[in-house]
Amino acid sequence: MTTHLLDIRHVNKHFGGNLAVSDVSFSVEKKQIFGLIGPNGAGKTTLFNCITGYYPVTAGDIVFDNKKINKLRPDQVCKLGMARTWQKVKPLGSLTTLENIMTGAFSKTNSPRIARQIALKHLETMGLADYTDKSAAALSIGLKKKLELARVLATDPKLLLLDEICGGLNHTETAAILEIIRMVRNNGITIVFIEHDMKAVTSICDRIVVLNSGEKLAEGTPEEITSNPAVIAAYLGGGTNANH
Amino acid sequence: MKPFITIIITGTFAALLPLLIGDNPYITGVLITVLMMAALASAWNILGGFAGQFSFGHAAYFGTGAYTTMILLYQWNINPIPGIMAGIVAACIIALVTGSIVFRLRGHYFGLASIAVAEIVRLTVLNFEFTGGAQGILVTDVALSGLDLNSKNPFYYGMLLVLVITLLISAYLRTSKTGFYLQAIREDQDAAASLGINISQYKNRALLISASLTSVLGSLYAMYIRFIDTNAVLDLRLSIEIILTAIIGGVGTLWGPVLGALLLVPLAEMLRTNILGDALVKAGLVSETSPIGIFLKENLAHAHVLVYGIITVVCILYLPKGILVLFRRHK
Repeated sequence: MTTHLLDIRHVNKHFGGNLAVSDVSFSVEKKQIFGLIGPNGAGKTTLFNCITGYYPVTAGDIVFDNKKINKLRPDQVCKLGMARTWQKVKPLGSLTTLENIMTGAFSKTNSPRIARQIALKHLETMGLADYTDKSAAALSIGLKKKLELARVLATDPKLLLLDEICGGLNHTETAAILEIIRMVRNNGITIVFIEHDMKAVTSICDRIVVLNSGEKLAEGTPEEITSNPAVIAAYLGGGTNANH
Repeated sequence: MKPFITIIITGTFAALLPLLIGDNPYITGVLITVLMMAALASAWNILGGFAGQFSFGHAAYFGTGAYTTMILLYQWNINPIPGIMAGIVAACIIALVTGSIVFRLRGHYFGLASIAVAEIVRLTVLNFEFTGGAQGILVTDVALSGLDLNSKNPFYYGMLLVLVITLLISAYLRTSKTGFYLQAIREDQDAAASLGINISQYKNRALLISASLTSVLGSLYAMYIRFIDTNAVLDLRLSIEIILTAIIGGVGTLWGPVLGALLLVPLAEMLRTNILGDALVKAGLVSETSPIGIFLKENLAHAHVLVYGIITVVCILYLPKGILVLFRRHK
């Protein structure tokens, strides 16, 4: 048995003749915070969609918790303990904040009473208690991101995939979210996250994979990544702007 | 607990209503239609309102119930109670076949496919011998031990019972896991799947509940009228009327479909019997011999579909959440 929670093995994803993800492999260890970065169109979100069962992979294997999951549906993947958030937030608009989180909590219980207890707990830790009975559609973007985090945490995951959770947030909000991510990891949950904000990524990640045009460009610790010439050229802008 | 108590109290009140009305077959008849449309719209609402899957072919399940019960009675003289059960089974089979195929698709495909399925059922019934074809089925004697089925009251209570059951199921669903999951599917299918919700399984669940209840109402209707043909129980018009009743009252709410039926059925009845036209004449607003008076007398009776259309447009423009919002206190 390995300590790997998630193994991506030679994954390919084509859309027609378009190669979105090409022969990407990496492993995520338990309790890691794992960063997935790359310029726009590098295939990060496509890879997320493959891992979580929204897209079938063209070739390769995805192994989660020693189980091959590349043929599973999104709901089956979730049941195994993998949860995701969305780059473009997807609140259940006509439901309240509490009801949104309860919907997540129902994945582990059939009882509305228990689901409510679980939801209230996450509502509290996420600082959303003031918005319990507010319609989710009416929340600000920062609160919607927190709501989405609370909702996936309510499914009691082992692995959390976060797709640009800090996108569209200001510095204070970003800092708050990063703090929550650290706390979540300290509770034993492994995290893979896609992020554009280099400062956010390098400050929090244990390990980083860089994708470029669907291919893995580099992998390493934040220090290795930020000093890698290929990464600087591809991602940080030709080396002239490396301190950006 | 509150909605359950409200439903029981309202149901009890409605059960006492025939005692107040006494022996008035006309009023009882209108009330039976109100109860039936309320129940049909509420049953549709479980799928269309809660799960957000707009079925434009619910007449298929209504007709399946009606035809199954009538054929069993007419051809083999089978008692209506097993007939109703057989109707539920038949409707569920059609629902399962439909659901397992079209629920894999998203967006409006279910709506389109539901029309197609309803048309397939209608044309099949129309072209077979044992279904009576275009002539339909007429049953002169419906016997059920201990009940006087020549009176309308048993049907009043039958429709009321199904309505109360439908409302209780709806109220239960809204607070249960299944209800949360159906609403999540309505709001965002991808988000729902990422929370561990088996989308097609839950959609099928909603469709089966909705189709079963609709089928029972079809069986009751057939026993009540004693004559069915494809125009009466399998027509697209019926499917549309069910949807309009739910939309005008308030989609996705508990009482909206009931309110829609309370409003639309009497309105259609008043137009059909020309009570509105006569009232205008009596009030002296319009002379009976004037061109307008003659026009109203001749055409208003056929205008209920037009009036439905106007009300729908007004509702969509000004009350997109249905008339029920008018009765809610603003937060």
